[in-house]
Amino acid sequence: MTSLLGGVFLGWSLGANDAANVFGTAVSSRMIKFWTAAILASSFVLAGALLGGQSGIETLKGLTRFTSDQAIIASIAAACTVTIMTLFGLPVSTSQAVVGAILGVGILNRQLNLAGLVKVVVCWIGTPVGGIILAIIVYKLLAGIANSMNLNIFQSDILLRLCLIIAGSYGAYALGANNVANVTAVFVGAGMLSASAAALIGGLSIGLGILTFSKKVMETVGQKLVRLDPFSALAVVLAQAITVHIYALVGVPVSTSQAVIGAVLGVGIIKGVNTIQRRTLVHIFLAWFLTPFVASVLALSLDFVTHLRYIPG
Amino acid sequence: MFKFLFKKERQVQELISKYLDNLRSTQEHFEKAMDCYFDFGLGENCDFLITQTHKFESRADDIRNEIIEMMYSKVLIPESRSDIFRLLESIDLILTHFETVLFMVQNQKLEVPDFIIFDLRELMRVSLECCDLVIRQVEAYFKRTEDIKPLVSIIDSLESRCDHMEREIVSKIFDADMDPFQKMQLKDLVGHMGEISDQADRVSRSVYIINIKRRV
Repeated sequence: MTSLLGGVFLGWSLGANDAANVFGTAVSSRMIKFWTAAILASSFVLAGALLGGQSGIETLKGLTRFTSDQAIIASIAAACTVTIMTLFGLPVSTSQAVVGAILGVGILNRQLNLAGLVKVVVCWIGTPVGGIILAIIVYKLLAGIANSMNLNIFQSDILLRLCLIIAGSYGAYALGANNVANVTAVFVGAGMLSASAAALIGGLSIGLGILTFSKKVMETVGQKLVRLDPFSALAVVLAQAITVHIYALVGVPVSTSQAVIGAVLGVGIIKGVNTIQRRTLVHIFLAWFLTPFVASVLALSLDFVTHLRYIPG
Repeated sequence: MFKFLFKKERQVQELISKYLDNLRSTQEHFEKAMDCYFDFGLGENCDFLITQTHKFESRADDIRNEIIEMMYSKVLIPESRSDIFRLLESIDLILTHFETVLFMVQNQKLEVPDFIIFDLRELMRVSLECCDLVIRQVEAYFKRTEDIKPLVSIIDSLESRCDHMEREIVSKIFDADMDPFQKMQLKDLVGHMGEISDQADRVSRSVYIINIKRRV
């Protein structure tokens, strides 16, 4: 069980950070209580992990062969990458950290599934792009429906809040289905866990992160989204959830934060305003290259350290 | 279906209706007090009606505070809260103008010369018509009973009429052979009466903007 700790820590930090992308808007604007959001998010993350997490696990475990030691090294390297880069305030994505660590292990094994890796990288690029396209479609569709309903301020508020709760829950489901592979896929690859046990442990650790440590992140990240009007925020949350869910079906773990940034850009395009700073876009590009690089270097270094032997002189 | 989940929203809605009813009552008492003043001058009856108007104005403040307190206890989305908050603040200024006019008359023991009484009554009538329409417009906004856009232009034209009347009355005052101090007092009174329709017009425009803002 202790060998899974790296993965559990990764799941915990993923839950603590990424729940903000799905319920941040509703919580930071005090439309729903933190505990309601946290319970809904952790339940739906677990449901997503159990019902839709298998194909992501298959993709990641198929990137290279793992021994038990290498699985532990990969998960610890990914967890350390996320922690170090967060501490230094650098852009980071758990999905990219995990793939980077697997890449490091693959280099050691001199065996890498290049086709699988290309698929993953294409999906990374496709995440913000998908966010943009889906946000435009979702916004136009929802706007058409909202404008055709003659609702007063109270009715439209109630509807908006219900929609945010539903979209948030769906987003949490998509998060669980998509990102559970990041947490435990390497252990499935090493034969330490079955796919369903990996989904359960991964889902529970993400849920634990949401319940124990996501409040502050939800309040701060959510406030950035709230600067959008509530309707745009709903379109962003829904577009992000659909994007992440599509990649869960494709079987590639992607960054929910990058899907959100894409969706915010999409809403900005519709409204003709600049919603994203150039610095944020530079951060996405940095995350694409820097995160896998740091994670693979860490995985290689950890492997080197574990193989050091003391030879008495 | 989800009514039980949104009890506080319904309470805010009910309080807003109560606030608007109270606004109507304040307006009625203001009108009665001014009619009494124009007909019989200051006296016990007029003082009573001024006190009643003041009581309704204070009650409006209480209801407004109750609405704001309830809204900020996790009811409505932040944007709606601030829209309603600003709208109530703006409506409240109409009530403040009612009170200012009455207190001016009462405290400064104003005497209105006969040659402008008819004009002042007309100014008051048109100003209060503006207020009636604003209340109807605010209700229409909250209950979606009618289109609010046509009301904006009616209120706007009534407000322009009030401005015109205001200028004519001031001109009549300064053409008359009166004590300059009394002229200044009357000019002030006319100015404050004119502010009622000006403020009603501002409220009407706010409602219109809030309504447009919510379209996506």
